[in-house]
Amino acid sequence: MLIELKDINKTYDNGQPLHVLKGIDLQIDRGEFVSIMGASGSGKSTLLNILGILDNYDTGTYYLDGKLIKDLTERQAADYRNRMIGFIFQSFNLISFKTAVENVELPLYYQGVPRKKRHEMAMEYLEKLGLTPWAAHFPNEMSGGQKQRVAIARALITHPQIILADEPTGALDSKTSVEVMQLLKKLNQEEGITIIVVTHESGVANETDKIIHIKDGIIGQIEENIHHDAWGGPRMK
Amino acid sequence: MRIEIIHEIASSLRNNKLRTALTGFAVSWGIFLLIALLGAGNGLMNSFLGNVESFISQSVSVNGWRTSKPYNGYKEGRLIELDQKDLQYTEDPRWQGIIQNVSTRTGSSSASLTLNGKSVNGWITGVQPDYLVQEKIKLAAGRFINRADVQERRKVIVITTSQAKELVGEQPEAILGQWVKAGDISYRVVGVYHTDERDFRRATPIPFSTYKGIYDHSDKIARITFSLNGPQTLEEHKAFEEAYKSELKRLHDIAPDDNMGIWIRNGYTSNLQMNKGAHILRVALWILSLLTLVSGIVGVSNIMLITVKERTHEFGIRKAIGATPGAILRLIIAESVAITAFFGYMGMFLGMIACQIMDKTVGQHAVDIGIEKIQMLVNPSVGLDVALEATLLLIVAGSLAGAIPAWKAAKVKPIEALRAE
Repeated sequence: MLIELKDINKTYDNGQPLHVLKGIDLQIDRGEFVSIMGASGSGKSTLLNILGILDNYDTGTYYLDGKLIKDLTERQAADYRNRMIGFIFQSFNLISFKTAVENVELPLYYQGVPRKKRHEMAMEYLEKLGLTPWAAHFPNEMSGGQKQRVAIARALITHPQIILADEPTGALDSKTSVEVMQLLKKLNQEEGITIIVVTHESGVANETDKIIHIKDGIIGQIEENIHHDAWGGPRMK
Repeated sequence: MRIEIIHEIASSLRNNKLRTALTGFAVSWGIFLLIALLGAGNGLMNSFLGNVESFISQSVSVNGWRTSKPYNGYKEGRLIELDQKDLQYTEDPRWQGIIQNVSTRTGSSSASLTLNGKSVNGWITGVQPDYLVQEKIKLAAGRFINRADVQERRKVIVITTSQAKELVGEQPEAILGQWVKAGDISYRVVGVYHTDERDFRRATPIPFSTYKGIYDHSDKIARITFSLNGPQTLEEHKAFEEAYKSELKRLHDIAPDDNMGIWIRNGYTSNLQMNKGAHILRVALWILSLLTLVSGIVGVSNIMLITVKERTHEFGIRKAIGATPGAILRLIIAESVAITAFFGYMGMFLGMIACQIMDKTVGQHAVDIGIEKIQMLVNPSVGLDVALEATLLLIVAGSLAGAIPAWKAAKVKPIEALRAE
């Protein structure tokens, strides 16, 4: 198992305690394309943050690729995030004063990869995503879809174990949303990358192989999404 | 990694031009003031020491004065006059190795010096050859009174350049060898000396023995002057003065606790005190400059704090994709050092230009203070050592200014940083 969660609990304490995750058990295997779906306040984002080692949990265990992710120092956490996890955010989270290629290079910078090498790699990934002409552009000179593709290139460049996508289509129009989801699906099918998408849109969730419903901090139904394989095409709303 | 971080800094500074400029200004201004202040201070000190040096001599002079206490049947207010036995005492073997180059001079007589119908006022004073060195006299032409003049009681005189100009016109050396009349007596002019526009120094020296033969037949001496070898500190000088004076007081029946009667002017202690004063001034200037710099550093720190707050989201992104707290810390401190070093250098450069401008304007301007003219600033500048110290200080200051904001940025949790807008 790539990801193994056992009885994860998380309580926020802002004045009065808020029990967000109430005993999450979850297993995700290598090569899966999974969505976590739930309404706002269901705890899906908190779960994603814990999976991404951006936040810690109170009790339970979380194994990522056989390693127990618990009580890590900031330094270790940064290192794991850098080498094992690729993030895709709703608001892209590109650094505004860096060009597309510089943004894509950044994770390699923190790995200590030499400048020339990482530039080459970043250009390679931009090409793969059809962004070569936009390499020297700043984020504010690009469309939402282009920005998200830059973010995807940045997430891929370190060959992570998993890609965590937090509402990846939340800021995009429906046409671009379809394109981005198909891109993720292609990456999963052709390169075998494990992808976890958090969303509240069933249309987006339906693009994935497995839909994990989360409600009030506990996992509900886990739906094997056989339809889209069987029908061989996207089923957007 | 070193070059990498420079690229990182460059891109971040390029893209925050206003902030960079504001931060830079705070530092530039601080360093500019530091250099300008130190430069002006040095100029002031150079001028002060230079002006003083020309009339404070490295010698001790002893004069008689009025007593302030009755003693041994004498009333207070008695005028003490030095004489031959005081000179013998001063040259006594007990002071051997300490008192050197003893010289004497007589009192002065006012006289009108005339040549070819022109006349000028002068103060005829009998001196020994050592007078030249002890009074720091700068000869313009000819020679000073020498031993032979004193031994042979020659009627020779040394006058000032301004007196010479009044008597013979623009070429003062034209007066050499001529005979000027002072009352009934004629003196041959053997030398002309500069007065540095200090008109109070109108003494026209003649040989000691000549003066004694003409104006004053007593064995009185107006002043004994000597150089001193041994005492170093202010306390040692004080002790020497007391020891030296006690015997003179006994010789002249002055109360041992009377501070008047014998008056000693000690050029060495004046110098010591002056150096002490100069040192205090220098320290005060440094403190003042450092305080100015501190305000610059606080400015940088302030702006860096705001910057860090503004960029929290960016740091969140960096952390999400793998930046360690150390990497964030290094980035901010390096940015802070880069800003302070670059703009500090600019401030230093401008400060040095300001020093040059001061030199060319105020520095060239002599101020008339009545008895003489003095230059306000002499060579206002700071040395290379100060520039290097300031550079080092800048780097330390930059790191300090960046430290707190950097620490804050490094500490913030990635999830909180990502939420910040």
